[in-house]
Amino acid sequence: MMQGLYVEGETWIHRLPAGLKLLVLVFAGWGLMWVTHPAWLLLALAAVWMLFWMARVSMRGVWRRMRPLAWFLVLIGLYVAWADGWLVASAAMLRLAALVLLGLLVTLTTPLSAMMDVVTVLLHPLERLGLLRAERVSLAFGMTMRMVPELYIQWNQIREAQAARGLESHPVALIVPMLVRTLKRADDMAEAIDARVDE
Amino acid sequence: MLNKTAPMKTRDLVMVSLLTALIVVLALVPPIPVPLVPVPVTLQTLGVMLAGLVLGPGRAGLAVLLYVAMAMVGLPVLPGGRAGLAVLMGPTGGFLLGMIPGAMLTGWLSRRIRFGLEAPGRQITLNFFACLLGGVALVYAFGIPWLASVTGMGMTKAALAVLVFVPGDMVKALIAATVAYQVARHIEA
Repeated sequence: MMQGLYVEGETWIHRLPAGLKLLVLVFAGWGLMWVTHPAWLLLALAAVWMLFWMARVSMRGVWRRMRPLAWFLVLIGLYVAWADGWLVASAAMLRLAALVLLGLLVTLTTPLSAMMDVVTVLLHPLERLGLLRAERVSLAFGMTMRMVPELYIQWNQIREAQAARGLESHPVALIVPMLVRTLKRADDMAEAIDARVDE
Repeated sequence: MLNKTAPMKTRDLVMVSLLTALIVVLALVPPIPVPLVPVPVTLQTLGVMLAGLVLGPGRAGLAVLLYVAMAMVGLPVLPGGRAGLAVLMGPTGGFLLGMIPGAMLTGWLSRRIRFGLEAPGRQITLNFFACLLGGVALVYAFGIPWLASVTGMGMTKAALAVLVFVPGDMVKALIAATVAYQVARHIEA
């Protein structure tokens, strides 16, 4: 359930440092905001497409990831066309497609561990200021990953129990027990951790 | 349930992690029908509002930051199992980032006054306005300029485009406000 989107590969794009890829993404995002002519944006989209080809990413996978967003893009395109005309709309669609695909490319070609290393580097200044500690961040991350499947099961149990009693599913009735149990669990876990570790 | 002692004790860390996990689960479970809204909605923003109300500003900010960071590094924690930088670069990227200060403002506002359990009406109203200003207005304040700049449409038009989501978010704010009150009552009982 909690698998990253990274797809293994051996191309130069896969080997680029994660930090550099993220930096390129940030600059592309910032830069393309200023480009308004569709022709230049089409060129940018073509460049991103070429990068995908170079990274040898399966296009079927890309389409599967993009489908939900694609519909949304079309909707936005229609809205912009209605509001500002087709020229602005085509620029908006091309810019969004280029940026979204570039973001997807970075995610698909960068392993989770490399991304986490970048996060650690970004957290360094906060650590220096004494605002947080890196090992606490990774502990929180690990606990969250561990608890997602548990809470998912808990949600289904509550739903099924209420359905079995013939209750109609009302969001408040569902979420109150969900949150109460989650907070009780937090209490138990905190006690268990404190009992094992003295600080 | 809500102690204000030294920053980041074990308890705080566990609370932050579990509320982050709760946001993930609420974002991933199939959309559920909500009163007054014609289509089933995902509960991601509800999770963000609840984090604010339950955890208070500091810990809520950390929980939502952790959630957004998980999505950014490529874990499928966004509604529909989406993830990654594609979402951030897309039209809704601003809404995603805005949830971090949104949860913090919700938490901060809900801690300004406490009516307590004896005044359910007033406490729920306070919770509701905290969610409305933090979890809705501030999130939109990030989301709309982002949408306007990536699409090149003006701010007014971008604001009009997202107007359809406002009723759903208002209902979610009301649900979060009620849930937080009832949970507080449960825990003190």
